[in-house]
Amino acid sequence: MTLTLYHIPDWASSIIHLALEEIGAPYQIVPLDYDAGDLSTPAFRAINPLGLIPAMDTPDGPMFETAAILLWLNECYGGLGPRQGEPDRAAFLSWLTFVSNGPHVTSMAMIHPEYAAGEAAAEEVLRLAFEALNQQAAHLETLITTKAPVWLSTHTPGALGYYLGIVLRWAIYMPHDSTLRFSLAPFPALQAVLAAHESFPAALRVAEADGLGPTPFTAPVVA
Amino acid sequence: MLTLHHAPDFASTIIRLALEEMELPHTLALVDFDGGTLATPEYRRINPIGLIPALETDTGPMFETAAILLWLVDRTGRLGPGVTDPDRGAFLSWLFFTSNALHTASLAMFYPHRPAGEANTDAARAAAHDQVMARLSLIDSMIATQAPRWLSADQPGVLGYYIGVLIRWLTSLPPEPYRIDLAAFPHLRAVLAAHEARPAAQRVAADEGLGSHPFTKANS
Repeated sequence: MTLTLYHIPDWASSIIHLALEEIGAPYQIVPLDYDAGDLSTPAFRAINPLGLIPAMDTPDGPMFETAAILLWLNECYGGLGPRQGEPDRAAFLSWLTFVSNGPHVTSMAMIHPEYAAGEAAAEEVLRLAFEALNQQAAHLETLITTKAPVWLSTHTPGALGYYLGIVLRWAIYMPHDSTLRFSLAPFPALQAVLAAHESFPAALRVAEADGLGPTPFTAPVVA
Repeated sequence: MLTLHHAPDFASTIIRLALEEMELPHTLALVDFDGGTLATPEYRRINPIGLIPALETDTGPMFETAAILLWLVDRTGRLGPGVTDPDRGAFLSWLFFTSNALHTASLAMFYPHRPAGEANTDAARAAAHDQVMARLSLIDSMIATQAPRWLSADQPGVLGYYIGVLIRWLTSLPPEPYRIDLAAFPHLRAVLAAHEARPAAQRVAADEGLGSHPFTKANS
């Protein structure tokens, strides 16, 4: 069963790329070019009607949404977190959905603060998103320090570590206002988990292929 | 035993509808917003994020609407495709789309000051309205072209109840001209009309005072 990932490096499809490398699933990549309009073509909309990255073709049909694809890959292959019937499945699902609705959405708002209410409000939107992301990171820091979940740890690669690694990477280096860029420094346990994840062999391979630099999660370097 | 931390006509109502439809025994723990329940250390042990819904299960506490719905589907084998079902991938895709795109944009319509500040509420509500309309159009088209059995008028599903409660709010809460008109989405409307007529939905609607058509005629 070969999977096809529609991909733009350092977009959310890099999260799926990391997961595919981690589990060793056979896959191929179809590179897309945003500036060439690849996300708006009828052919791509037939795969993802939302016109967004990531999208993935499976033997059961196309999929989209980062968290949905991560869960599906875990159900098919394992290796990314607790599966149905395993201990801690309830907590894993809760926190995966939290990352999808919280840090992922918030980081996107920091990259594109003009989307929420236009250019005039962009500065305020960025400031509020920066505050929100720090609150969300504090929740994750508390989770790691108090519960030490295997599925978000320094010793076991997992979907959540790769997911957070990429969305926090964007918030660290992309905001235009350098005073409103996210820092992992106040969150040492989370930083340690992400430092471990960027060092796993699968992450090293994806960082090389996608041009993410040597420390893509903890100290992103813009090429 | 399952314990749902609940306030009527909040997102926890989505979970309550699923629990009733699945006929799963559960107790309701009513949240006292004004009394500050959500901020207490006891509640934060159940949901560290301090929001509802939260569901206490025999395998620990859960939060986030989509996560709880998915866990209930997997627990019961009902109201959505299971892990070995060929429809699982499409179901997961649209469940998470509903969660982080439709639900999130809906909240921005109701509380536009949260993402954009008090000075920008009109612009934020207008932008969120456009997003909600585009996303509902995608859902309506998907129903029309794919006729998924996990979001259909023929059988109940967690996604029908999830979108139903969001539509209830979108068609009644925003000030004009931002209120959503469900007539623009006829395929979705038919699915929601079937869901609200289910005995489980009628029980919840009666108990919470949501009216006889809680999804399609939220104002009546």
